[in-house]
Amino acid sequence: MPPTATCTPKDYKSDLKPIWCPGCGDFGVLQAVYRALAASGRPPHEVAFVSGIGCSSRIPGYTTTYGFNSVHGRPLPIAQGIKLARPELLVLVASGDGDGFSIGGNHVAHAIRRNVDLTYIVMDNQIYGLTKGQLSPTSSKGLKTVTSPHGSLEDPVNPLLLVLGCGARFVAQSTPADMNGLTDLIEAGMRFPGFAFINVQSPCITYGRPESQLKSHKAAMRPLFSPATSPEVKRPPEAVDHDPTDRLRAMQLAEDYGKTLYTGIFYRDPAPEPTYEMLATQRRRSLMAAAPVRSKILDRFVVR
Amino acid sequence: MMTDLVLAMAGAGGDGVISAGEALMTAAARDGYWAIMTKSYGSQIRGGESSFRLRLATEPLWNVGGPLDVAVALNWDDFLRFGAELPVSGRTTVIYDSASGIASDNLPLAVTPLEAIAVPIGALARQHAGTDRAKNTVVLGLLVGWLGLPRESLLAGVRKRFAAKSSEVMEGNLQAFAAGIAFAEAHPLRATRLIAPAQPPKVARLLTDGNDMCAAAAIFAGCSFFGGYPITPSTEIMQFLSDEMWRYGGTVLQAEDEIAGIGAAVGASFAGRKAMTATSGPGMSLKSEILGLATIAELPLVCVNVQRGGPSTGLPTKSEQADLFQAAFSAHGDAVRPVIASTSVADMFGTTVEAFNIAEQYQTPVILLSDAEIGQRKEVIDPIDTTAAAIINRRPPNDLELEQYVRFQMTQSGVSPISHPGMKGGNYLASGIEHTESGAPTANGATHARMNDKRIQKLASLKARRDLFSIDGDHDAPIALVSWGSVAGVAREAAGLARREGIRLKVLIPRLVYPISEEVFGDFFASVRAGLVIEQSHQGQLFRIIRMFVDVPRGLESLARSGSNPITPAEVLDRLRTMVTTLQGRGVPEPEPPPG
Repeated sequence: MPPTATCTPKDYKSDLKPIWCPGCGDFGVLQAVYRALAASGRPPHEVAFVSGIGCSSRIPGYTTTYGFNSVHGRPLPIAQGIKLARPELLVLVASGDGDGFSIGGNHVAHAIRRNVDLTYIVMDNQIYGLTKGQLSPTSSKGLKTVTSPHGSLEDPVNPLLLVLGCGARFVAQSTPADMNGLTDLIEAGMRFPGFAFINVQSPCITYGRPESQLKSHKAAMRPLFSPATSPEVKRPPEAVDHDPTDRLRAMQLAEDYGKTLYTGIFYRDPAPEPTYEMLATQRRRSLMAAAPVRSKILDRFVVR
Repeated sequence: MMTDLVLAMAGAGGDGVISAGEALMTAAARDGYWAIMTKSYGSQIRGGESSFRLRLATEPLWNVGGPLDVAVALNWDDFLRFGAELPVSGRTTVIYDSASGIASDNLPLAVTPLEAIAVPIGALARQHAGTDRAKNTVVLGLLVGWLGLPRESLLAGVRKRFAAKSSEVMEGNLQAFAAGIAFAEAHPLRATRLIAPAQPPKVARLLTDGNDMCAAAAIFAGCSFFGGYPITPSTEIMQFLSDEMWRYGGTVLQAEDEIAGIGAAVGASFAGRKAMTATSGPGMSLKSEILGLATIAELPLVCVNVQRGGPSTGLPTKSEQADLFQAAFSAHGDAVRPVIASTSVADMFGTTVEAFNIAEQYQTPVILLSDAEIGQRKEVIDPIDTTAAAIINRRPPNDLELEQYVRFQMTQSGVSPISHPGMKGGNYLASGIEHTESGAPTANGATHARMNDKRIQKLASLKARRDLFSIDGDHDAPIALVSWGSVAGVAREAAGLARREGIRLKVLIPRLVYPISEEVFGDFFASVRAGLVIEQSHQGQLFRIIRMFVDVPRGLESLARSGSNPITPAEVLDRLRTMVTTLQGRGVPEPEPPPG
């Protein structure tokens, strides 16, 4: 392994061959993760990459980091356990829309309010691909799938509004149609000191709708542009001006989930508070003796 | 003089019943008695009935004992709600508040007690302390007077308890205490209930309950992460750790649900820490899937189940041993995980340390079965020799192994060196999906069979560990008792009573209750013609599991009953007597007289 500072994207690529369909958006996410990891400067053994179940959740195995391909819906609790056990690690979490907003939905709210420093990447394709095309929590109302042959009767979850409502401190969205933007956002998420959420509209080439493929993303995406924070960047003509410290405006933009594909940072807390693991470390420092003797614990029970 | 006495008290919430029991326990420990106390509550959050049942003896104790020698009813409605938990017999001395207006020959009891004394408990409390709240202090005074309980230690307890209160409250309670003693002295009991004096202990004894002991033992074993969710009757484990864990460099996470609790613990274990979660029946159901994940990912984890009555919400505050099937068989797939059980508060220390040791050595989740009785009951116990307790840590890969690290490498023992994030060269993919030795996902049938074999066969040496089974009695005895968990204490005591009658028998108490050790049980049963498997469940779950794996003697029977319906040493003895008679009828030689 080369020294920390010189890791290249290739150093994070494992020998496993992805099982994804050719043209799957997840390939792009994987490439972006390689690049963002290289940019992070953290060698693979200092990174833990946790996932649940679904097409997306195969992703840790395609990296050389420590990976944990766990069970459906539960990567967030597992990742929190890892980060609390070893705060020095860089911990990434990958989910699909089913993992994150259906079976594991409860954990999202609590990971956010607990504010453990994780980078949570959801590959949102609005369909269940691994099980071959069933309705997902982000599928649009009326969508016909094998489990909704007469059309879905449910409104979709709005992931962006959901996490903003839960108080998320870093909220972004992207698509593999914009590799540079996606890479930058994942890297920004990793650097953000706290829970960072990145919704990646990652098309399912096999079961996804034709209008939500990479080509249409490329045409439809509207980058969020912040002249105040990136004065050096030239404003693209299709961009929408947005101050990422404006949480209410971020929620307004999030309302357009499923209608307008905004990419970039919706919200980033300008003054992040200490994370859970920082507070935990502080607590240990204040309560811990220099060299605690574990057998002393029984002294609590002595009757004098 | 009595050397062993069972005492109970019941009253309404706010009567201070439990604090009176705790005062008695502290005084008993200080003065050299052995004691076990169980507490019982109605399901109300506040203001419901509460009771304690306390056994006090001059010798070490195995269980809470049978019918009451002394019963204190602050009011009858509350006392009667506890039913069989507070069994009054014809040998019981009943003390009750005369405010009930009930005549002593007309008590609302199914049996006529030996003696019933109406005491103006409330009136004395109001007279001396100006409040009904001092009723419990009056009762402590009565017990000092009638039972000869240690006056100085109890007095010190009363002083300590009210130290922070106004001098008025303190003085009132001291007077109430004295009034109780004076009443008892003025009204001697017909039957002697005086307890024999105890030898003051040379080394200070410990007083605690199973939940706190479990938590303390976890810290001793090196646990540095706890993830869990509050659930009766296990919550005290998390509460204790929430206070203490930080002092030893660890972290406690109160998770959003049971699944997240065990999920975080599995994550911490993956990160190389000794991790634990604790729950009760409903929580175990929720944790099932992640237990399976820990099995296939070969991650050490201790999962404590403080069993309560089930199914579903069942009897949340009552003890039962009906989760053994669940512990052994709730996994999907061929997941065998060690299940170990504790038999008492003192035993909880060694059992918990063992749970961590097994988890670490074999890289597996371990289910530690406690029950509401052990978890909640307080015991006076001897100090624990922690220097005798070995601590086992997982085996990390060495430098050579890290050069070409293979996480799930086939080895002689089936256990592979385990790395953790942060360890250079140890990078691997942990997964719930079946995997090859290197950790790559696979759907290959042959690999799946080999990996199942690895994960199951690695436990073979665990089943061979005879120190995980307590066996005592004559090696060739024809009669056997087998029991586990809190009820094991009943079996042990019954065995003592049976031996005194000349019944030759032996007792097996497994600490490892699953997987079943065919060898240990087979050897044990070799001489046995008849016996009992004693447990607190409707189906007799251990009895049935043993029969799945071992050819048991035809005369082996189940003595099993649903939770909250105590099994007593006396009834075990009755069954044993019948067994002896039956065996004699079959021409089995009479038991030899006991030695000496």
